[in-house]
This record gives sequence, structure tokens and C-alpha cells, in this order.
Amino acid sequence: MAQHPAELKVVGKRLPRVDARERVTGEAVYPADLDLPGMVHAKLLRSAHAHARILRIDTSRAEALKGVLAVVTAADFPELPVGTTIPMGELGYDMWMVAQINLARHKVHWVGQPVAGIAAIDAHVAQAALALIEVDYEPLTPVLDIAAAMAPDAPILHEHVFTKGVEPRPRAPSNVCSRVVIARGDTARALGEAAATAQASVKVDTAHQGYLEPQVVVAQVDANGFATVWASTQGQFTAELMIARMLGLPQSKLKVVPLEIGGGFGGKISIHGEAVAVRLAQKCRRPVKLVFTREEVLQGGSGPAAAALIDIAVGADRDGRLVAIDGTYRLDAGGLPGLSPSLVMQASAALYQCPNLNLQGFDVVTNKPRTEAYRGPVGIQAYFAMEQAMDALCQQLGMDPLEFRKRNASVTGSTMPIGTPFPAIGLTTILERVGEHPCWTDPLPEGRYPRGRGLALGYWRGTSMTSAAHITIAGDGRPMVTMGPVDLSGTRTTMAQVVAEEFGLPIEDIHIETGDSKSVGYSDGAAGSRVARTTTAALVEACADALGQLRKRAAEKLQCAPHEVDYAEGRFLARQAGGAAISLSELMQATLTDGAIVGRGVSTKLPLGVEIGAHVCDVEVDTDTGLVTVLRYTAFQDVGLALNPAAVEGQIEGSVVQGLGWALMEGFDYGPDGRLRNASLLDYRMPTALDVPKIDCVIVETPVPGVPYGVRGVGEVPIVPPAAAVANAIARATGVRVWHMPMTPERVLRALRG
Amino acid sequence: MKTPLTCTVNAEERTVLADTRDTLLELLRERLGLTGTKEGCSNGNCGTCTVLIDGEPVNACLLLALEAPGRAITTIEALSGGERLHPIQQALVDHGGTQCGFCTPGIVLSAKALLDANPRPTEAEIRHAIAGNLCRCTGYGKIVEAIAAVAAAAAPGR
Repeated sequence: MAQHPAELKVVGKRLPRVDARERVTGEAVYPADLDLPGMVHAKLLRSAHAHARILRIDTSRAEALKGVLAVVTAADFPELPVGTTIPMGELGYDMWMVAQINLARHKVHWVGQPVAGIAAIDAHVAQAALALIEVDYEPLTPVLDIAAAMAPDAPILHEHVFTKGVEPRPRAPSNVCSRVVIARGDTARALGEAAATAQASVKVDTAHQGYLEPQVVVAQVDANGFATVWASTQGQFTAELMIARMLGLPQSKLKVVPLEIGGGFGGKISIHGEAVAVRLAQKCRRPVKLVFTREEVLQGGSGPAAAALIDIAVGADRDGRLVAIDGTYRLDAGGLPGLSPSLVMQASAALYQCPNLNLQGFDVVTNKPRTEAYRGPVGIQAYFAMEQAMDALCQQLGMDPLEFRKRNASVTGSTMPIGTPFPAIGLTTILERVGEHPCWTDPLPEGRYPRGRGLALGYWRGTSMTSAAHITIAGDGRPMVTMGPVDLSGTRTTMAQVVAEEFGLPIEDIHIETGDSKSVGYSDGAAGSRVARTTTAALVEACADALGQLRKRAAEKLQCAPHEVDYAEGRFLARQAGGAAISLSELMQATLTDGAIVGRGVSTKLPLGVEIGAHVCDVEVDTDTGLVTVLRYTAFQDVGLALNPAAVEGQIEGSVVQGLGWALMEGFDYGPDGRLRNASLLDYRMPTALDVPKIDCVIVETPVPGVPYGVRGVGEVPIVPPAAAVANAIARATGVRVWHMPMTPERVLRALRG
Repeated sequence: MKTPLTCTVNAEERTVLADTRDTLLELLRERLGLTGTKEGCSNGNCGTCTVLIDGEPVNACLLLALEAPGRAITTIEALSGGERLHPIQQALVDHGGTQCGFCTPGIVLSAKALLDANPRPTEAEIRHAIAGNLCRCTGYGKIVEAIAAVAAAAAPGR
């Protein structure tokens, strides 16, 4: 395997996506585009209450409506006990919770939580039938924010939730699902003795992943009871496990086919109605299509990202060396227990060498939609606090913020917050590159309003988990690749590059697709910046396996031993002088009847490829309106090795713009009844082409040892620094810090007016 | 209630039975099977259902199907002939201007309407022309680059 970048012929090249044509022509098939013979349409009835007990559901009037074919409620599913789990994911999937996301049972915990599903001959009839379902609720007091949920006399959402991480085990249930402490040294003392200190106390509103394709599923059950589910999912195997458990269906009676996915960003890891669609299809014996409206997506149909309250205090000595970080992280999980705060606590303190750490985190439930992962989950919230605290500390010290980072940056081998040493990282190189770049050295041009330049770092750990793939060889000798992970970020292209490189063939010779949940080995979902890395490892193994099998056949044809055969660029060559050669195509044609060549690969325990970035942002702050304009934005990132620089830039640019959206405009606005007041893309504003500048990318390559091609994760970390970079730029422009995100014009103006 | 309706889509006269409640988007996707036009919000906010009506970009979700007769409707399916992509499509391929692809058909049509009316737009004009098309994947930079490249290639030296 070629490893030195200079020797690479296909990997590392700026190639167009192998699946770009069907995207620009509109031929790419998303689940909403499927139309099966006899297909009927489903709708979900959703809770209008944020917190209520379900006393009775009567579906008889809806069932009697002409055109209605089936109605289901939670009573149509086995009741899964708390603690039933399936493997996968940063959020740790508890099936009791997945069931609640699909259909509420006994209680509703947020506005928009589904309580019943209907299949009818068309969507108009299904919609009309929703109004005929009678649900008697006993309304309960909703708990709508972190402070209210943590209050001693707060109404309790879940009687079975006792705070984890507290000794002795609490006797009373709580809305605090878990508490995590990460500490070393004596932080209080170090802060007390520090030459300079700074604090950041931030509030972050909920934001949504904002994928443009709402959730869609099509389910069909054949005469033998075998179910096929076409889904827009980040992981067909996870979806299969979830659907099977919810229905009590053996996994051999179900397959999930992942079609094109119109964006996911973490929001399509869990199922949201897929199991309901299958149950409806079982009941009415017709294919069922369930399409969410945009309002449903935003109003409780699919989880947004966590709101947060985070307090950070930092201190440094006279020389600008960081001595302590104290942090309290309160994360709003929504209506069901969420992510352990541990990962994000570690992430937020990872980039600094600091002898004293005291971090405490709380996972809190409230009567709002159950949150789900969003690109580096909770990273942007935590860094909004951490990097503002660091920037304020630089101001206290009178120190250049880049110099401060250089002085305190983690390096290869420094101790991570969990106590283990950092594997190879390129933070020092990144900071050097920032210091040399015009985005940092150019003077800031004068404008009509105050301008400022902000710097912020970001870290994300990512994960590896499992990817499987296999390669069969077509009769013409070309590799046909089937991989487990779905393509969220150009995976088919980068993985075709890897296979082309390993086979020494042009990329045009590689056919690649994502398999369904029955046609390829188990693979975890496309999440955690893991897919390119882990699937590369699986494919390198699969290529070696296939080439090994081919080598044996070639040796037989060339009448020598397998170890006497060389392979390069599609040809096997006998090594002895004047040796004969045979091409892959000739070999396959000559051995067509010898059985399939199937190279298999799986990667399960790949070393992490942690992601680090530094962002520099110039803003102008309109002091009359509070509007912040981002003038220039440069993202530096260590990617290990860029499999395809265009794809890497695409990930960074998109991720940064999502971060800028949350930084400046995206926030959920809940009313006192727990209803989202801005549940449309007009009122929940995401950045348009007019709201953001071109994002410049600077790619740094510090390979990860033990990972094929040295690849790091790419897609998550670029969303981590933007809010802090913008906030620091605002502070440098105006002398004022905005502690509430998104930093809308109204909030900026309030801050400016003190 | 269903009613027969005749309209001109991609220069072809089509007669279909439409529900009077159908939007133009539903007519295109569900009655005519033209699924290249996407549905992202049904509210005129995201631009994924952009089609051209008499050359102007319009959100198909905001029109009723009953408003279609008498107008020339162009969808993404009409843009490429056989193997050959429209220059805007080719540029999006070459510049990495498509990721998940869900917004792409709408972006292509908004860009076509722009370049048909203004073959040499500034970057600001390009950004303005696609401001009604949300894209959550690319951050827009490579889309803007692609459209600018088409304009530059079509009007060299100007």
C-alpha cells in the first residue's frame, strides 16, 4: 500500500464526486421519490401538550372514515422496558427512548411527540382523519428550561430517572439524569492565586440540524411477512435494529435500504416513525409512505440540538501560562435523557495544557423535543463559553490571543483531560500557519462601523466504531465495491479513490455503492467523523483479500507460485525473466466458472483520528441595529491526509456556515406552553448565500499513526469554533461580549447598550 | 375532488387528473412523476421546489396545480440532454457544488434564470439569485464559484 503522499496516484486528488451527475440532474433517488404500486400515505397525530398523561385514545371515528386503512397507537407495539438497549452511537440508544420518539406511551413529554399513526388512500384523507382521533390528556405542569428542571420542587418528567454519578444513589427521582465530574489538581486554589482570571457564563438556545430533506420512510411487507424499509437514514443497520426491537420482529424478517439522504448532520441516526410505517404496512397490507412536513420536523418530530448553560472560569500566571480551568456544563436534553456531558467536557478543555481542572456536567430533561446529535454534539456550545473565556483572559493579560494559544497549546503526548496522553496532533503547526497567514497578518480594513478580528480553536474527538465492506470482481476485472456506511459527505467518492489506489486502477474503473442492511456486513451509522477513516481501513483489508485471491488464480494461469507473481496497475506478472503477464480482465474471463472473488474487510478498533481546527473571523458590528456581518472567515484544520481536498473543503465550508448560522441567527423560540413559535424556515432562519462570505480553508496534514493513509475525522470539528470566533471578533470590535447565542441583532444591541 | 388539467411541462403538453387541492409541486411530483423537483418545506421558504415558469424561478409549492395551464413550466428534467449536462450542471460537478444534492435541482434552475437574463453577473448578483435556495451542506462558496465559472466561460474577455 502506498503511504507517502508523493507516491499516491488517486488518493489525495481533487476529483469530482462519483455521484455528482445524478444530483445535478435530479435523478438521485431519495425515499420521497419512491412510488410503489398500491402505495398509501401515512400521517402522525402529534401531542399538543408539552407534558401530559395520556388517559385514553379512541381511534374508532378515524378508522370509520372512508379511505382510512389502518390506525396504530403505542398499544400496537410491545412495551419495551427501560434499559433495553441496542449497540451504537454517541447518544447510546436506549430502546425505551427510541420507542417514545416514535410513539408516546402513558405520557407525552413534548409538543409534537407522536401519539398515533394513520394510513389512508392519500395524504389528504390521512390528514383529515387525524382530527377524528380522540385523545384524553391530563395536562401536567411543563418544565421548560434547565433552571426550572433543576429546581428542588420541579415537576418530575420521569419517575424512573435517578441522577447517575451521585453517591450514594439518590432516593428520589430527578430531572438531572446524570452528573459527571472530571478533576485534577486544586482548581480553586490555582484560580485564587492566578495573576489573571476571566469568566464566561453563556446561554445557548436550541438549534436544529436543518437538513433540507424532511424525514421520509416507505415500508412494504410482502406476503411472507418480510418487511422492506426504504429510509433516509444515517445508518441502515441501526435503523434495522431499532425497527426490529420496536416491532418485536426477528431481524431476518426485515431489511432497511438506505436511499439518498438529503442531509442528516446527526438528526437521522435514530428512527422517527419508521417502525410506525412498518406496523401500518403490516396492518393494511399495502406499501406505506410517511413524509414529515417541515413544521413536523421542527415542532417535535425530530430532535434538535441541546440548549445549554455553561460557566467557565480560567486563570493564568504572570507569563500567560494557563493554571486552571473550572467549568460547569448544564445541557438540556429535552424530553428524554440525553448525552452524557463527559465527552464535551473533555473536548472543551482538551486543547490546553493545564495542571488544574475542575469540570462538572449535568444532563437535564425538560418538556421540549428530545434532542439528538448535531455535528460534534454540544461542541459549539461548550467552545462558545471556553474560547470566550480564553479570549477574555488574553485581554486581562494584555496578551496576543495567538501567542497565548501557542504558549499553552496541547502537543503530541500532553495529558488529555481524561488523563491519557495525546496521540500525534498538529495543533502547533496549525497555530504557526495562522500566524503566517494574511487572514491574521493583514490589517483589518476600516469600515462604517466597528470591526474586529476573532480567533477561536476547536477540538473534536470523533469515534471509530465499525465499518464493513466487500469487493467482488466483475467479469471484466473491475472492482465492484459494496460498503456498509451510507454516504453523507462524499464517502462513495473518497472510498472509490482508496480502492482505485489499492488496485492501481483509474477511479472510473471502480463501481461503488452502499449496501442495504442484508447485503453487507454490519456497519455503524455515518456519524462521529468516523466513516472515511474506518471505511478506508475496511477497504484496504478487502482490497488485499481480493488481490490475494486473484493472485492465486493468476499464479495458476502463469504456472508459478503465488509469491512469484507481482501485481501492479491491473496486471499480474510472473517475476522470472521474460515472465508472462495476465490482466485482471483476462484473468476473470479465464476463470469465470471458478466461483466469485469476494474480498472482505471490516474495521472495528481503529485508533481515533482526533480533529483540531483554528478559525479566524473578521466582523463588522452595526452599532445602530446590532447586526453582525461576517466579512472574512478562514478555517485551519488538521485532517491527517485529505483523501480528496475538494471534499474536505466542502465539509469544512458547510460546517462553518452551520456554525455561523447558530452563532448569529438560529435559535428555537419556545412559548410558555412549550410550543415552538418559529416552526418554519421563514421564522427559523438558516444562512442564505447572502448571509455568509466565502469560507477559506487551510488544510494541515499530520497523519494519524496506525490508520491507513493517516486519515483524521473531518466533518465535525469545523462547526465547533465559529460561534466563539464571531463572539471574540465582536468583543474586539466593540469591547462588549454577547453571552447569549444566537447573537441576534437584538441581543447584540442590548449588550452594546449595557 | 379530481379534475382534468392540461399544461405544458418541459415543452410537452400533458393532461392529467389532478386533485383541486394539489399544488403545482404535487402535480409535478405525484401526477407527472417528475421527482427531480424536491419538497423541503411546502411553504416557499427553502427553494428546493424551484421550477421555471415562463423563464422565471418560482417555488412550485406556492402555486396551485390549477394555475399551471397556459404557462410554460420547466423542471430540472429538461436541462440535460442525454449524456451532455447543461453547463451549470457540469460546473456544479466540477467545482464540488453539490453535496447531499437535495437543493441542487432548485439551485440549477435559479442559476439558469439568472444567467439567461444576465449572462455576466457579479458575485453579489449570483448570491442574490440563489438567496431563495437554502443549502445546508456546502456553505454556498463552491456553488457561487461554479455559477461564476459558467458566466466567465460563456462571455470570455468581457
